Amino acid sequence: MWEQVRQTLYQSTVGAVSRLASLLPGLLALLVAVLCSLVLAWLAAAILRRVLASIHFDERLEGWGVTGLAEYSPQHTPSLLVTRVVAWAIVLAGVVLGLGAVEATVTSDLTLRLFDYLPNVAAAIVVFIVGAIVARYLARTVLIESVNMNLHYARLLSLGVKWLVMVCTIAMALDHLQIGSGIVHLAFGILFGGIVLALALAVGLGSKELVSRSLGRESRFSADTEEPIRHI
Amino acid sequence: MAEPGVEQIESADAVIGLVPAGRDNHSVEKTIAHILETSVPIRIALLHPPLSGGNGQPPTAPPNWQLIASPQLAFDPSALAQSLGDSFRATFETAQKLHSRACALVASDLSTTTVDWVSLLLQPVVEEQFDLVTPCYARQAFEGMINRAIVYPLVRALYGMRIRNPLGPDFGVSSRLLERVFSAPHARPHALPSLAAEAVTSGMPLCQAHLGPRNYAAPDWTNLSSLLARLLGPLFLDVERYAAHWQRARGSQPIREFGQPMYVEAPQSTLDVSRLIDSFHLGTRNLLEIWGMILPPSTLVELRRMARTAAAQFRMPDVVWAHVVYDFALAHRLRTISREQMLRALTPIYLGWVASYALELEHASPEAAEQRLERLCVVYEETKAYFVSRWRWPDRFNP
Repeated sequence: MWEQVRQTLYQSTVGAVSRLASLLPGLLALLVAVLCSLVLAWLAAAILRRVLASIHFDERLEGWGVTGLAEYSPQHTPSLLVTRVVAWAIVLAGVVLGLGAVEATVTSDLTLRLFDYLPNVAAAIVVFIVGAIVARYLARTVLIESVNMNLHYARLLSLGVKWLVMVCTIAMALDHLQIGSGIVHLAFGILFGGIVLALALAVGLGSKELVSRSLGRESRFSADTEEPIRHI
Repeated sequence: MAEPGVEQIESADAVIGLVPAGRDNHSVEKTIAHILETSVPIRIALLHPPLSGGNGQPPTAPPNWQLIASPQLAFDPSALAQSLGDSFRATFETAQKLHSRACALVASDLSTTTVDWVSLLLQPVVEEQFDLVTPCYARQAFEGMINRAIVYPLVRALYGMRIRNPLGPDFGVSSRLLERVFSAPHARPHALPSLAAEAVTSGMPLCQAHLGPRNYAAPDWTNLSSLLARLLGPLFLDVERYAAHWQRARGSQPIREFGQPMYVEAPQSTLDVSRLIDSFHLGTRNLLEIWGMILPPSTLVELRRMARTAAAQFRMPDVVWAHVVYDFALAHRLRTISREQMLRALTPIYLGWVASYALELEHASPEAAEQRLERLCVVYEETKAYFVSRWRWPDRFNP
């Protein structure tokens, strides 16, 4: 019996070691791909930075009226943002290439499914980050504009817009992660509708003011000239 | 008789661009007729928008005048800012094509344009070798508040020249200055607001002409915050562009003036500033978080304190206001938040300053209003050191 146990242990060890050994070329390929992509990314970033500086990319962008990009750029320079996006895209391509090499050497079903799931996770993260940025920007814009329109529920409107975008973003991210898609769709519909209804109810009475303001916009400007205080 | 195109005219000593602020063809025709009465011994090309209404025919011009209808000068209410920029550019380009020595722009409400305007805007350039003639209008205490509160004091403190209306919109410009502005290595989307700053920083002689009363037709801006953003955006861009120059300038000097200054009494109607103070209160309740990204804590404390005072005693100290404008100019450079949002977030504080100013000058004479403006400008000049320090070391602790 001991002989059988020893035999089984030996076979399992040999199997594990041989599986690990079969993974090694893939892991090495991953390492090489990542290293090469890092070098390439550094080179591309250096060249791109010089080219963009020579054509005064930041100033040109501002001249074309694209000013919002700078807010989300490192050190508020769009050329640095472009450089970093290109560099990280190259690194990401290298990682994907390396993972492909690893995947080819992987035979376990669980690992294969895990690798298949990774792009969904990446997409969900990107969707969430973009959604959070858009939500923050829109909430701030709505807040400032509402205050400038003298709307006393400015903060409520801003919060409503922020959460509308965030709910939509979270639903999209969960959809990418394939987590409870049916429930998510249903919950999203209920939540989205709920927020809209809550906003409509909360703003309802005051919206008369808003509608009259927008309808009376033309007359407001002509009235401005009749007021004793003129801004221009 | 059909008017000649720019191609058919070889040269002109001066070019005048008429930029209408409305669709009223009649006033354009009347203005052309007025301008043609100007007796000048030089050849002038008058660029005007096409006349479609009435008989569509421009008045007969004296031999030394050439009338040119330019579609680029036509009024487009849907894109006013763009349309103004295009009109100015079209006039400047025509002046360059015709090798003109001088160029005049008339963009105020044309119904107020008189015969004197053209000579006042052109003569200093043609005869006295000035490179820029900026306008001075009849002064009324509650008109042109953005210019009074921000543009004039800021430009005066930064560049050291007392230019009453740096943003025009009526100008007399020399070919030398035009060439300098348009031959800049990088295309400038907003060349017009830069004229005064460019002239000062290049050491070109400039003066101002008293043009008399001015009506500026109510533009179709979506609201006051858009107006602020559109006016202050190019101004703050210039602050960044000419930083090396204005950091060296100290104090301010008067510039030569042509014509006679005029004052207009403010209307006797009672001022109701409650709406302005409400806007300021609403801002302090909701925008403190955003202002906190732009303004230092001490200014925020001051704004909070003001929000607690009763409406009748509401006052915004000039020092606080000057610091606010300087901090917004710095935030524009640093892009602390989106520039558009940042400029629009200034609106409630600006309305607070206007309310404070209006309460102070409700029954004041035009001369008293001038003295008040002078005090504000002096405060801007005295607090410039604060701006220079923040500009050079924006990350330094600023309580």
